[in-house]
Amino acid sequence: MNEPLLDKLPVGICLVNESYEIVYLNAFFLDRMPSDLREVALGKPLADVFPEQIKFLKRRIKSVFVLKHPSFSYWEQRPHIFPFKSSRPITGEETQMVQNMEIVPHKDSETQQQYACILIQDVTAQASYFKAQTQLAEQLKEEHEAQRKLIRKLDRAQSQLIQAEKMASTGQLAAGIAHEINNPMGFVTANLNTLEQYAQNLLETCEATKKLFASHAPERLEDLEALFEATHVELIEEDMGALLQESKDGLDRVSEIVSTLRSFAEEPQHAWSYLNLQETASQLVQLISTQFKKPKYKVSCQPEQLKWYCETASFKQALTNLMMNAAQSIEDSGLVMLDIKQTQSGVAIKIVDTGCGIKETNLKRVFEPFFTTRPEGKGQGLGLSVAYSAIEKHKGKLVINSREGKGTVIEVRLPRLQEDDDTTANESASTAPSESL
Amino acid sequence: MNDVIALSEDQRDALQELMNISMGQAANSLAHLIETKIGISIPNITAVTPTGLYELVSHNQQSYYTRQSFMGDIHGEVMSILTQSGLEEVAELLEYEQPLSDNDIKETILELSNILAGACLAGLSEQLELATNLQMPTLFAPQKSDFSQYDWQHSLVMEVKFDIQVSSFTMRVVFCLDDASLTKLKSTIDELLG
Repeated sequence: MNEPLLDKLPVGICLVNESYEIVYLNAFFLDRMPSDLREVALGKPLADVFPEQIKFLKRRIKSVFVLKHPSFSYWEQRPHIFPFKSSRPITGEETQMVQNMEIVPHKDSETQQQYACILIQDVTAQASYFKAQTQLAEQLKEEHEAQRKLIRKLDRAQSQLIQAEKMASTGQLAAGIAHEINNPMGFVTANLNTLEQYAQNLLETCEATKKLFASHAPERLEDLEALFEATHVELIEEDMGALLQESKDGLDRVSEIVSTLRSFAEEPQHAWSYLNLQETASQLVQLISTQFKKPKYKVSCQPEQLKWYCETASFKQALTNLMMNAAQSIEDSGLVMLDIKQTQSGVAIKIVDTGCGIKETNLKRVFEPFFTTRPEGKGQGLGLSVAYSAIEKHKGKLVINSREGKGTVIEVRLPRLQEDDDTTANESASTAPSESL
Repeated sequence: MNDVIALSEDQRDALQELMNISMGQAANSLAHLIETKIGISIPNITAVTPTGLYELVSHNQQSYYTRQSFMGDIHGEVMSILTQSGLEEVAELLEYEQPLSDNDIKETILELSNILAGACLAGLSEQLELATNLQMPTLFAPQKSDFSQYDWQHSLVMEVKFDIQVSSFTMRVVFCLDDASLTKLKSTIDELLG
């Protein structure tokens, strides 16, 4: 062997014979050994010089002798096979050398003796670089994840903001319109009542005139009747009642629309108090079932007689609207379920129906005021937006899940509010006992 | 199929026989080392495209993978696919102490791959009188590699399966050669065939 050349190699070489005794060490290997071992290592059993890893080394050397091909060990699994110091005692961060090992079979061409040649490579720098890279990658991944979460949060916040903005601006508009309509509505209603009275008087006058003619001038009665016929007095009498009633119904509808608009738009000065949710729910179902007879209704409340602190009028309005929608969605037969459950942080109200469901494209728009899929005159499209703003006032959340043709699930989650909470502080909390519908 | 990898029937038979012998030797060496019985399958020699290779190596989800390159008269890579089941028993045969740490498992995988791939390659090289050197094995994740980006269209693969009979452990070794090595291999086989 060309020993001076081997001493120049940047690789540690240790030659072991078949009895596991050290027969050669090159300079790289010797330099890194503890000084007390350097002098005595040659000729000694490997087990005496490096007792820590001897079990592993023997196993690998045996495999090399048996199989006659190299065996490898990689720093990631076993970084410090030999107790070598780092090659940078002054500026290095590592104190121990990180090693890759290769054991190759070697046959002496003269003596035919078998040897195992242990080659040690110093990979301390690569290893610490690799570790730093791994750490950096880990850090990047974490930051990336955090950013993604933040973006999702931002997205949600933005869509909530858009929704709130929409509701607010339409609310103001609605309040203005409601006010403007109320004025003419006032005098139209009053005038219509007066007109009804006038018309009644006129008709009565006609009738009285006829009687007067019959008793005092029967010979002219025919003329009078001819005149009445020519001016269709009989027809007027028949038709007028219906015309007036229809107009009054129309006015009622307008005023109903206006008052719903106002309850949606204006901050009502209703009182906050404890509401018995179970009682409210059963009364609500009773009311709705008289109007919508087709669905079956099911109500549950846990715990029973749960009392909830809320702004009762708007809260009930919201529940009513949601239940009405559910009931209306059922055309022939189906189920409407109202489930109220107290949770750790508040109350969860679920309204489930097996009705016609909501188209996916419409789902985004259901909270928009005036958005409706019902035929003209059958719905104002305010129910859900009123419910939404009422739930929002209670700091709650309203979530809709729906599949067309299958049904709809609406979940309302309300946090527990205290009487001295900010939202309710400026409202005079009613001292009245719990009320219901 | 590319001309380079088209083997004649004689060449294929000869190669299969050579593989058979070297695999047998590999199994014997390992059996001797860990003192247990080892079964081997008949070597399967096929030509594959990169996606075909992916399918060949990755059809079992519950596996570990390693790759190892070899140089010398012929160049190529060996991929080993080791089942996860039964590995603990094999580690015990290799004198690892239970319970196995994550590093013990990795070391066992690398060591097993090295022993079997090394024995196969040594056997084959010896039969063909070619000099080869096996490099260090590394762990490999075929799922994370894009096989379709590989810079070759066809390759010859030789596949063999080992079963270690005391456990449910099986391991497949797949040899892939580059074009130049294939030409060399063919001419060597032709010389042997006379």
